[in-house]
Amino acid sequence: MMINSQDKITASQAVVVLANYILATGILTLPRTSVEKVKSPDVWISVFLGGIIAIIAAVIIVKLSQKYPDKTFYQYSQDIVGKWTGWFLSLLIIVYFFTISAFEVRIMAEVTSLFLLESTPTWAIILPFMWIGLYLISSGINSIARLFEIIFPITFVIFLLVAFMSLGIFEIDNLRPVLGLGVMPVLKGVKTATLAFLGPEIMLLLVALMKQSEKTKAVKVVLVGLTIPLFFYVITVVMVIGALSIDGVVTRTWPTLELMRSFEIPGLIFERFESFLLVIWIMQIFATFTITYFAAALGLAQLFKKNIQPFIFGLLPIIYIISMTPKNINDLFKFGDMIGNAALFLFGVFPVLLLFISRLKGGKT
Amino acid sequence: MKLNNMKVRFRLGLLLSLILLLLTGCWSSKEIEDLGLVVGTSLDLETDSSSKEALEEQEARNSNKELITITNQFVTSETTGSGAKEGKKQQKAYKNVSETGDAILPTLRNMMLKNDKRAFAEHSKVIVLGEDFASAFNLTQTMDFFLRELEMRPSALLLIAKNHASNILESNEPTKIPAFQLVEMMKGHKRTTKILPPMTFAKLQGKLNSRASFLLQSVTSENGEVKFAGAAVIKGNTKKLRGFLTGKELEGIKWITGKGKGGLVTSFYEGTDQPIIYEILSMKSKITPHVDGDNISFNVKIESEGRIAEHWVLSEKTFDNKFLKKAERATEKEVERLVKNVLEKIQHEYQADVSEFGTRLRIEYPKVWKKLKKDWDQTFSEVPIQCEVKITIKDYGTSGE
Repeated sequence: MMINSQDKITASQAVVVLANYILATGILTLPRTSVEKVKSPDVWISVFLGGIIAIIAAVIIVKLSQKYPDKTFYQYSQDIVGKWTGWFLSLLIIVYFFTISAFEVRIMAEVTSLFLLESTPTWAIILPFMWIGLYLISSGINSIARLFEIIFPITFVIFLLVAFMSLGIFEIDNLRPVLGLGVMPVLKGVKTATLAFLGPEIMLLLVALMKQSEKTKAVKVVLVGLTIPLFFYVITVVMVIGALSIDGVVTRTWPTLELMRSFEIPGLIFERFESFLLVIWIMQIFATFTITYFAAALGLAQLFKKNIQPFIFGLLPIIYIISMTPKNINDLFKFGDMIGNAALFLFGVFPVLLLFISRLKGGKT
Repeated sequence: MKLNNMKVRFRLGLLLSLILLLLTGCWSSKEIEDLGLVVGTSLDLETDSSSKEALEEQEARNSNKELITITNQFVTSETTGSGAKEGKKQQKAYKNVSETGDAILPTLRNMMLKNDKRAFAEHSKVIVLGEDFASAFNLTQTMDFFLRELEMRPSALLLIAKNHASNILESNEPTKIPAFQLVEMMKGHKRTTKILPPMTFAKLQGKLNSRASFLLQSVTSENGEVKFAGAAVIKGNTKKLRGFLTGKELEGIKWITGKGKGGLVTSFYEGTDQPIIYEILSMKSKITPHVDGDNISFNVKIESEGRIAEHWVLSEKTFDNKFLKKAERATEKEVERLVKNVLEKIQHEYQADVSEFGTRLRIEYPKVWKKLKKDWDQTFSEVPIQCEVKITIKDYGTSGE
């Protein structure tokens, strides 16, 4: 399917899409997964470094995409490495996209059934969620971007509000000493932290979907789009560790939610704030789910040069089945790690190689 | 055209009335009248052997196994409603239900056999552990359920009772709910040095997972009167109750950590032994670790500003600076005495670092700490600690006498 020429987004919409894609499951588990690796209160430095690495990777991806401003990765990869290799690479990335959307759906179902809908069966949580996602993406990137524009400011305001309300139980001693055991522990956590920034890969297609006049701003888009989640993550990690201490964080399944459950502020209309966090978090999961779902469907449509609609419907049961595969929550976390490792390879290594090859080719002609 | 409009209207109307069906009730709702809100829980070691036998018959348990008695404090629609009614004999605003078993959740579930209300712990405010219970079991094991259960919020408080914990949840005033009173009393930690800052489950998790010893507020019940009395020392390596600190000793701890927000110090005027009461306005302490090879020592510098809130010394006037200086000296001496006393006790008797010396060492000498943290309590019992106190009296209220 050729992209509808009307269905383009602006640079600021691209920022919002990118930021909403990145903010997802990580925010609830990042404090734990990173402390497990770092084992010192310097986790926030790891997160910071992880963000910077993600920005570098994102800039490479953008540079690559800007060489072929009117084509998505699925189309230009065939130009760079030949038809079949490009086809295979695209297929890998498509699989990656719908796997990640299945993962997000399942995490959403797990958290919702634990904290909100105790006796609702998992399928009953997942299915409406997926149907609404299907409805959204069937009308293209523009409606997705517009929905994200509504979600984003809500997330921003509520998140900051809730995070700073926990200041009452914050203890600065839990975050000290800074770099007490040297830089080594910090580096151990960088990989985990980088994985929380999965998302810049969407730029492989987003550049092609941006308005003609705004394509040159793509580097700025990733800089801003990644700085926002970086800011969110650092605040989360600092607040959670400050309140629960590193010894406490490692034992909690969902440390960020635990933080919100650890204090009550009497006198305001609401005393308890975890439901606020859950609400914005579910919106973020929905954002990640829809954009990856869309990316996978678009990829298939472009590979087979067909209309996108049948692929959207066709992917739905596949995503559902994948999301139901992990047997328990440990399997699910492992599944998440697997996706992360695949992403490091797919989007850390390949874009550099492809950029290199395309430079070589470009030099020849 | 008109017909078409009718059709659309009909369909819309049908859709709307179908939606109405969904509004009839909430899925998995629980009526508040049918809930028994658990507001507090106490855990005791079961000592009564007859109930032990009865239970063994029932469940065929190993006889060596220690049993736990759990008391839940329920607030139900009946108890709250009847408390306010006139004429009738006043009923208690709460209802305590006890049950004995060998692990927490099975015992709680057995409570269902005695109670018509569905137990609902979302509003549980406080868990009180009995003295015997806390010294018999490892807290990591016994608190596991409370840290895992979703209904329990991490903002609940943990207290240790002297003697029986179930007595703490009883009150002489039938209209008051003891669990709520405990929480309210805890808020006094800002105005006295005899109450610890609240230890919630959120903080407990970190303490249990590190090997550090820590303090929990302890509470006693005398003739139905519930009262905070000092603190309980939980040893880091066993996670069991080691002993208690008295209120005075707890004041010493608060001075060492400098975490107090207010309180009083009573000292006695030289010669006449008339009391001078110093009210703390601010309290600061700086613990400085010194590491020299394998030798570790600490220096504690305590500074405080405050006012004379009351004095019984007839011969002197607060208008006189000399008297203020003397009062400062006397207060300093008293604080020093408090600190020395408690250090003696925690270093030599309990061998438990509950006053954050370890934390300072961790922050300032992280590498040394890494080596020492395993047996820190042991090391702590041998380190020399120097103490310096500086008290400044800023004012003396509205009387210059």
